[in-house]
Amino acid sequence: MPFAKKPQVFSARINELTLGTGDKAVTLGGQNVFNLYSFDAAMPNSPKIGIDVSDDPVQPSEGLTAFYAGCETLADRAKKAAELEDVDFVCIRFDLADPNGANKSIEDCVADAKAVAEAVDKPIVVAGCKNTEKDADLFGKVSEALQGKNILVLSAKEENYKGVAAGAGLAYGQKVGAESAVDINLAKQLNVLITQMGVDGKNVAMNVGSAAAGYGFEYVVSTLERVKAAALSQNDNTLQMPIITPVGVETWGVKESTAPESENPEWGGAEERGIDMEVETAAACLAYGSDAVILKHPDSVSTVARLVAALM
Amino acid sequence: MALKGLDIFKLTPKTNCKDCGNPTCMAFAMKVASGAIPIEKCPHMSAEALSTLSEATAPPMKSYKLGDLSLGGETVLSRHEKTLVSKTLYAGFVCDAQEAAEQDRLIAAMPKVDYERIGERMYLETVYVNHAGSKSADDYVALVNKCKALGRPMVLSCTDVEAMKAAVAAAAGCDIIVHGATAENYADMSAVATGAKALLGVRADSIEALHELVEKLEAAGNKNLILDVTGATVKETYANAVQVRRAALKDGDRSFGYPSIVNLASRNLAGEIKGDAHLEAALLSLFTCKYGSIVVCSEMTYAKALPLYGLRQNIFTDPQKPMKVEPGIYPINGADENSPCCLTVDFALTYFLVSGELERSKMPVNLLITDASGMSVLTAWAAGKFSSSSIKKFFDEFDINNKIKSRALIIPGKVAVMKGEIQDKLPDWSVIVGTTEAVQLVKYLRDEEWKKSYVDKSAAAPAAGEAAAEPAPAPKKVLPAPPIVVKGPYMIDDKPVTYKGHDPNAQTFVTIGERIHCISPAIRKAMDTYDEAPILKRAAEQIAAGATYLDVNIGPAESNGPELMQWAVQLLQQNFNNVPLALDTANQKAIEAGIKVYNRTNGKPIVNSADAGSRISNIDLAAANDAIVIALCSADGIAKDNEERMMHCHNMLERGLHLGMESDDLWFDPLFLVIKGMQDKQMDVLNAIRAFSEEGLKSTGGLSNNSNGMPKHIRPIMDAAMVGMAMTMGLTSAIVNPCDLRLMETIKSCDIIKNHNLYADSYLEI
Repeated sequence: MPFAKKPQVFSARINELTLGTGDKAVTLGGQNVFNLYSFDAAMPNSPKIGIDVSDDPVQPSEGLTAFYAGCETLADRAKKAAELEDVDFVCIRFDLADPNGANKSIEDCVADAKAVAEAVDKPIVVAGCKNTEKDADLFGKVSEALQGKNILVLSAKEENYKGVAAGAGLAYGQKVGAESAVDINLAKQLNVLITQMGVDGKNVAMNVGSAAAGYGFEYVVSTLERVKAAALSQNDNTLQMPIITPVGVETWGVKESTAPESENPEWGGAEERGIDMEVETAAACLAYGSDAVILKHPDSVSTVARLVAALM
Repeated sequence: MALKGLDIFKLTPKTNCKDCGNPTCMAFAMKVASGAIPIEKCPHMSAEALSTLSEATAPPMKSYKLGDLSLGGETVLSRHEKTLVSKTLYAGFVCDAQEAAEQDRLIAAMPKVDYERIGERMYLETVYVNHAGSKSADDYVALVNKCKALGRPMVLSCTDVEAMKAAVAAAAGCDIIVHGATAENYADMSAVATGAKALLGVRADSIEALHELVEKLEAAGNKNLILDVTGATVKETYANAVQVRRAALKDGDRSFGYPSIVNLASRNLAGEIKGDAHLEAALLSLFTCKYGSIVVCSEMTYAKALPLYGLRQNIFTDPQKPMKVEPGIYPINGADENSPCCLTVDFALTYFLVSGELERSKMPVNLLITDASGMSVLTAWAAGKFSSSSIKKFFDEFDINNKIKSRALIIPGKVAVMKGEIQDKLPDWSVIVGTTEAVQLVKYLRDEEWKKSYVDKSAAAPAAGEAAAEPAPAPKKVLPAPPIVVKGPYMIDDKPVTYKGHDPNAQTFVTIGERIHCISPAIRKAMDTYDEAPILKRAAEQIAAGATYLDVNIGPAESNGPELMQWAVQLLQQNFNNVPLALDTANQKAIEAGIKVYNRTNGKPIVNSADAGSRISNIDLAAANDAIVIALCSADGIAKDNEERMMHCHNMLERGLHLGMESDDLWFDPLFLVIKGMQDKQMDVLNAIRAFSEEGLKSTGGLSNNSNGMPKHIRPIMDAAMVGMAMTMGLTSAIVNPCDLRLMETIKSCDIIKNHNLYADSYLEI
């Protein structure tokens, strides 16, 4: 029997979610096929690439240090990063706000965020310091300051979703990221809770957890696959939010990326290793279900952009 | 396409001879169609019918061996449906059209990536030896000869039949794939592959043409194939890889049920990649995810390999096999012999979590990993796999006392109770209780909080120091067990709690209450201080809820096991009308001591538990003490299938019977698995219970493990469903939380349905 293609097209779709405003706005999701299966049906929006810029000037690699050389402030770095052609959005991260670390004040963070918004015309995603209490407050204040910019806050978790959903989502109409730890059940539950607060599910993106390749990535794989299968094949509208996966923050912390060449000379330079760890992890995330990835290295950004372009 | 029962029936002799063990040929045919029995069970099938049928009932994707590597055999598209079986293999590319110097460089570079990661060797498994049309057969043979020296399986890629013949001859003795079949040469090339007993690689210009060519080869009798899905572009290649696998596994298209080759170094793809090593890295990752069986790259480097092999290890990991790291000393942040030591278990996730946090702390620390059978800290501790003895053994085996000068040993906060016992066994060390969670380590180390608890032992140490052959047993500060107090009936809500008694010969389901377990902090503390109140309270609650037996887990209790167990047994039996007990500890002496004071009025004591591995001697212990034993059907690690489960079961049964036990006194535990991690294995567990039951054996197990990690309100529902299904299969007992009302009511209801009870309704209160 001759082979006849059987496109796997679903009647359900991933929600479309637009970030930013004007002609630089980007839209995630919208497809009715599994990720990257553009051979089944054209994807209305290709997967998007964000760049991760921290308020901590210390960079995880020499190449990144060189790239940001001459930048004094977070806004300088964000501007520099946003100028990369393949960058769709900029994710600013307030690592220094961590109460267990530098404990930068929320006022200073807000001032930074405003400066970034002045300097950058691409969409802005705001990541916090991972302290859930402070993040809730921080997201609210930044959302207020950047009203009308249509930003995404990354993210609301089980511990602080009420504050984040109310502050960023309800009060200022920003987009809300829902973050859970590699478990489809937790992801669904959090989406339900956030929408029960009154936030429209169409204004929610998910971060269902991430890991560097080799570091328990099987949980990421199965979560991404299950979420996309539930969204598309079962038309579960509590899981149809597009998925945005921070990759760089995971991959630039593992020893494959950071160990100096002197430690394992046969491994070669750390820069190349770090980039490959980042692009290979990102490629796997995109293959299994991420609608956007957030990377740190400019070379990773251009590589993943080439990969996506080749597949669309 | 799979055949229907009726199609199979037509091929049977239709004599209803029952030689296959089924009443009629129709019954047999229906069972074959459902996959329940193999067609070979009928001794009267014609050879022709057999081949038609075995084809139709064959798995959807062929599986092959290439040397000791495996290819194909997948049954699902996603790893959460079922474990993937054949990991992606990687091949290095070399071509006879390349300059000799370049060939030599590439071949010399191939063995360079070679390392071990969590027990798996990571290297470039195969070589892709390409013949360019512009070159002669001699050129190709010369290259094959060069590659042969690598001693790795070779994919011989060549569409010229004569050149292929020469190459195959040159490769004699090597594992090869004859990758040369095209629409033009397929008959001859197929003969070459068959002659060499090798897989035949098939390529075509489009996915449709590939299918057509495979059908021709199959018609000609060659079904040992591997399909090159590489297309003109990356996009087409990805579409082919996905569609071929999907057609085979989802749509049952047998002609695509073969492993695949993705060649990133092909002229077209190399032209598209344009030497961008990072893009090739990304594509290696992409085709490992979806669905390359062999992925060929221009060159494998450590930069590409480190993430790639880690990713592959994750994707193809079997969730039943704990990921273990090697025990040993792992210096972190440039630690040396004077740096403090952090101790933990060999469970890979624990290792990654802890080592990651230690790295983040930027403080030099020696991470000591002990062998705990790949279990997490608390699980290993409760199972006796992470104990002061195992730690002492580890220190001796790895000669830690001589390799490390620091005497600061930080142990996980979750096993703070072990501190005293470890301190006794390692008297020179200052044993410090660390944090309960890995994330707290950064601050703990950076602020040097551990120094607050550090005690310099060097002054107090005996002069002979480590050389002392027999360190004097440290003065034990073991509390003597207090006398047993019987306070009259224990009251809950002003009602006395009395044990209702148990007839060991009754058929009703036996529940073993699991709530007296020292993994619970309250019980752990109570055991540590002989505090009877929390133990009596939990016992009373479980008895009031209808538990048949109570499990008493005292932990490893290395220093005072016998005393503690005797105290616990007498405390519980004297207060609760000789309630029967399961004695649960890795400490055999404690179990023996417990049995000595045990009252058998309501049933024999249960030894919890033996397995077919290191704990098999608990069967001997049960036999010697006329006790029941719970026999876990696993050796160290979960059994991979029911064949293995039953093998363990029969080994233990045989041992017990030889020692004079009754088969009724061995309760086989299939090992209930976590649904969240192993959803695809649940029916295996249930089928194992049926197999026990069919052999007349009793069974039990930690049933609630199935719902581990689920939200609290879901667990009773899952547990109830599980017990219902398991009782259908013949489960005779379970270790459960009797205070779970829904579960207990389900059990009682199932007993009614199984006619194990005289009542038919109004039974819940009994």
